[in-house]
Amino acid sequence: MVVNEALRILRTVRYDAAHFSVFLQAGSIAAAAKPGQFVMIQAGDGLRPYLRRAFSVADVTTVAGVPGIELVVRAVGVGTEALGRFAEGTPIPVLGPLGVPFPIEDLKQSDRVALVAGGIGLAPLVLLARRLAERGIPADLFYGGRNESEVLKRPDFERFLGAHRCRYATDDGSLGKKGRVTDIFGAALDAGTSYRRVFACGPVPMFRALAAILEARGVEGSFALESEMACGFGVCLGCVLPGRDGRFHTICTEGPCLPPTAIDWSRV
Amino acid sequence: MSVDLTVHLGRLTLKNPIATASGTFGYGLEFAEFVDLSSLGAISVKGLSLRPCLGNPPPRICETDAGMLNAIGLQNVGIEEFLGEKLPRLHEARATVIANVWGDTEAEYRAVVERIGDDPRVAAVELNVSCPNVVKGGMVFGNDPAALGALVAAVRPATRLPLVVKLSPNVTDVVAAARAAVEGGADVLSLINTLVGLSIDIETREPKIGFTTGGLSGPAIRPVAVRMVWEVRRALPHVPIFGIGGIETAEHVVEFLIAGANAVQVGTASFRDPGISGRLVRDLARWCERHGVERVSDLTATLKTRPRPEKAYV
Ligand SMILES: Cc1cc2nc3c(=O)[nH]c(=O)nc-3n(C[C@H](O)[C@H](O)[C@H](O)COP(=O)(O)O)c2cc1C
Repeated sequence: MVVNEALRILRTVRYDAAHFSVFLQAGSIAAAAKPGQFVMIQAGDGLRPYLRRAFSVADVTTVAGVPGIELVVRAVGVGTEALGRFAEGTPIPVLGPLGVPFPIEDLKQSDRVALVAGGIGLAPLVLLARRLAERGIPADLFYGGRNESEVLKRPDFERFLGAHRCRYATDDGSLGKKGRVTDIFGAALDAGTSYRRVFACGPVPMFRALAAILEARGVEGSFALESEMACGFGVCLGCVLPGRDGRFHTICTEGPCLPPTAIDWSRV
Repeated sequence: MSVDLTVHLGRLTLKNPIATASGTFGYGLEFAEFVDLSSLGAISVKGLSLRPCLGNPPPRICETDAGMLNAIGLQNVGIEEFLGEKLPRLHEARATVIANVWGDTEAEYRAVVERIGDDPRVAAVELNVSCPNVVKGGMVFGNDPAALGALVAAVRPATRLPLVVKLSPNVTDVVAAARAAVEGGADVLSLINTLVGLSIDIETREPKIGFTTGGLSGPAIRPVAVRMVWEVRRALPHVPIFGIGGIETAEHVVEFLIAGANAVQVGTASFRDPGISGRLVRDLARWCERHGVERVSDLTATLKTRPRPEKAYV
């Protein structure tokens, strides 16, 4: 069931000038939302920004006893900035939950998985970590960004997964290891850790590097892909990415969670 | 007061003047959970071609102020899959279906319309001669009244269904194109398709759209669309018209009707709110009630223009 309704903003929490979380009254979305799915949100007055924006459902929580969904946002443009300016209590149009979630149904407690995030790409992995923890499936987090301020070191990740399972990397070494997140992930594989499946979300260069690592080692992956969307439900055909089969994959309905082997990374 | 929303576009009778525009409503079925498909005046489906079409490489869309650019490149499942998989379900949902079609050549246009023939599950065929986002096809015909007239005349014998011709706004004289289409055998005109635009990423100095240019749609284009509807209505008082461009509210619908449209098609607005077309039907009825309009068709072509000055004031 996809909900198309106005939901109230319960709370906005600012982390720094660029990052914030918006908690929305959940309506019937919270119960239905699976990790990796997204919602389309209308921010602003409907003329600027004109289109809705896609946001991962980062988490399903309660705010002062009211069921809510959390969106984690980096203000990068007119849409994300407008979303941060709403007063608490404002109803905003929400459509969701949408898209194909991360495949987790088949995982067992004897499986070990990895979560790989770059920058704001941590968003869909929070709810994933929560669901994996609930089911007792061990997961390692590898999380990186350009610098410390790009890595949202949320305490709940460490709570869900265990602090010892969370590893960080930054390009400038301001947090965790100096280097790329794909470097620390590759190092873990080199050290002999094997993963049943790798879930990832981040910028294209990270996806591209990670796709190459997984393919070389024959490790299964599921990437929560991002692409500019007008509708979010498969009709505008605007959000496609080139597939290896020569077709274009509609990210909003065939994804956003797709195996990296579906995409022709040389053409992205 | 009960309002009569029925409109007649020549032989094409619609239960109300709210239709959805091609390329913005998928094959209709995607919207079934947001709108009662049978409540709409009509659904113009994504532009169909003889064979399936993969469309353009991304990026295909970008947002603009009060609108968007797109260069999808007419990706579609092809006429066979449409007739075999989509149309039966649309028919079952009691939708009034307009089959929007396109081709690269006159022969392709004709072949795809022949394939539809007189299918009773289709209410009308709409020729897209105005897509700015493919290298050949659409615009070649839309930009040249003589070629357009010849195309419509070539396609006309392929079906007895009402033939709608969708005009391009990327011309200096939309009336010339409208006349050519009608002389070629069009029963109804629909206007406008998107306006060619260009958005640039000033950091990389690259176009934001892979195809370089894209078609502009949304509220930004509405005044241009209303003007073109008015021009065509003035020149061709008896030709039925679908008005298209930036419609988001019942008031916008009324504006198009006053300018001369008999019905409208709602486009990009369905991306922002998939339920909007159904709501416009209800809102339009309410607007008519509040304004004492008993028949919505009474609004058509009721613009009161002021005389223009014959020369500049100096
Ligand atoms: C993403 C997109 C795809 C479109 N595809 C088609 C198409 O396949 N055939 C067609 O005749 N018009 C197509 N159009 C044009 C629309 O039907 C409509 O004429 C135009 O968008 C203006 O209306 P609007 O401002 O309400 O969107 C498309 C428009 C958009 C935005």
